[in-house]
Amino acid sequence: MAAVHSSQTLAGPADAGPARNIRNRRIAMHLGIFVTIILAWEFGSRAGWLDPLFYPRPSNIMSSFWLIYFENGNVWYHIGVTMSLVFAGFFGGSVLGIVLGSLVGLNGVLRQFLKPYVIVLEATPRIAVAPLVIAAFGFGSGSKIAIIVLVCFFAPFINTLSGVMNVNVEKLELFKSMGASKWQILQKLVLPDAIPVIMAGERLALTAALSGALVAEFIQRDQGIGSLILIYTRNLNMASAFACIFTLTLLGFLIFRGMEIIDRTIAFWKHEQGRSRMTAKRRKAMEGSL
Amino acid sequence: MKDYIMSQHAKVDDIVVSGRSVGKTFANGTVIALKNADFDIKRGSFVSLVGPSGCGKSTLLRLVSGLIPATSGEVTVHNKPVTGPRPDISMMFQKATLLEWRTSLENVLLPTEIAGTITLADKNRAMDLLKLVGLGDFVFAFPAQLSGGMQQRVALARLLQTGADILLMDEPFGALDEFTRERLNTELMRIVSEVGATTLFVTHNISEAIFLADQVFVMTSRPGQVAKIIDVDLERPRSLSIQTSPEFNNLVADVRETLGAV
Repeated sequence: MAAVHSSQTLAGPADAGPARNIRNRRIAMHLGIFVTIILAWEFGSRAGWLDPLFYPRPSNIMSSFWLIYFENGNVWYHIGVTMSLVFAGFFGGSVLGIVLGSLVGLNGVLRQFLKPYVIVLEATPRIAVAPLVIAAFGFGSGSKIAIIVLVCFFAPFINTLSGVMNVNVEKLELFKSMGASKWQILQKLVLPDAIPVIMAGERLALTAALSGALVAEFIQRDQGIGSLILIYTRNLNMASAFACIFTLTLLGFLIFRGMEIIDRTIAFWKHEQGRSRMTAKRRKAMEGSL
Repeated sequence: MKDYIMSQHAKVDDIVVSGRSVGKTFANGTVIALKNADFDIKRGSFVSLVGPSGCGKSTLLRLVSGLIPATSGEVTVHNKPVTGPRPDISMMFQKATLLEWRTSLENVLLPTEIAGTITLADKNRAMDLLKLVGLGDFVFAFPAQLSGGMQQRVALARLLQTGADILLMDEPFGALDEFTRERLNTELMRIVSEVGATTLFVTHNISEAIFLADQVFVMTSRPGQVAKIIDVDLERPRSLSIQTSPEFNNLVADVRETLGAV
């Protein structure tokens, strides 16, 4: 055992050296390309090759960042508004999708009746209904959330539906041979088994929720990052519009990272690290109870 | 004289599972899976069902388990017709069918959980069973962290956890390599005799069938039927070396002849 350990520590740095060199070189290359693009953009704009009206200089975008984040500080409020909408709509759409998906997936009669409508709904871009939703619900947060629910409900719905329908036949037979009730089969087999597929649907729903929120704000033009982009563009303040867009990039990155962490926590058995973590946790819990 | 009394006694009391002209057809009677099966299985005995694919051995097992109803005839367990799954019967499949989100311990406890609430005694029993099948160090491992053989061991512990006195095993080690299978078979014999359960074991491996069993049901296909019931009077405990003995080879020849004759 000791021999294995020492050989590993010996092999460690020797192996890591070239690997780290390769990684550093790759990072340097990416950084170089990025800086080149930014510089080309900056000088292209200064030299008059790029119309600064539509392609604001990176330096201008940077000063716009400073302006909207710190000098005016107005962007914080709009970030709050948009994110509240995204999470409210995402939550509503998810709950609706998972509940309806389970019901339709588990009830053959219901499925038979709803199938044509599901197909029609699948073929229709949900975002197209957004103006009608506003006409029906009026202006305000309510109709914005309704639009987001509408656009992000479908992925969890379809994934839950197929998740609960595609239960492993052998496991089902096992449960039946143990005399499990329908409720027990649902609770202990069907739903946990469907969790990884449902989580995949949730990821898609989050993307849809972000786009849905922006469309809702484009239409209503009162507050939120979407409205801000629209207003800045209209005032030909492209630098600030770009600053808003990059803000969205950052937000998108953060919420997708968050989603990934949630996925690894809920569907832990699909990931090596999750399994090891839970094994340690269960062992500790058992030792604690003894 | 004593033997005579014993056998008389056996006829009344000690028959745990029996079938009378049991038949099963699928697809509205067009496919005959099993035809006219007659059998009696004694308490505590180990019965192997051996035969080629499509001979109805899995069907027979499912009929006894109550997972599917017979089309004709009757299967009785403890003198009562089988109408559905029952707590004194426990089943194991070719695949381990473990729940990936549960540890070995939680998988073993599944039947207890379905029957009611888990007590500390149940937990201790599950721990003991995991030790019995050689997985004492893998109590908190998830199925994805176990090899195929280890997964089947968990399934075996789960099978025993129910405390059922009738064990139905459908090619339980069929997907494993030869070495693992032989080792598990030897352990299975030891464990089953320790628990004193009545066992029905489906396999398509003739040596395995004879090695494990007190009785071998030789089954043939088209239509699936029990062609012959062969008693295996080899001494217990048995070791793997018994497979080279003349008695063993005579039994193998008997099974082959029955399979080839039809």
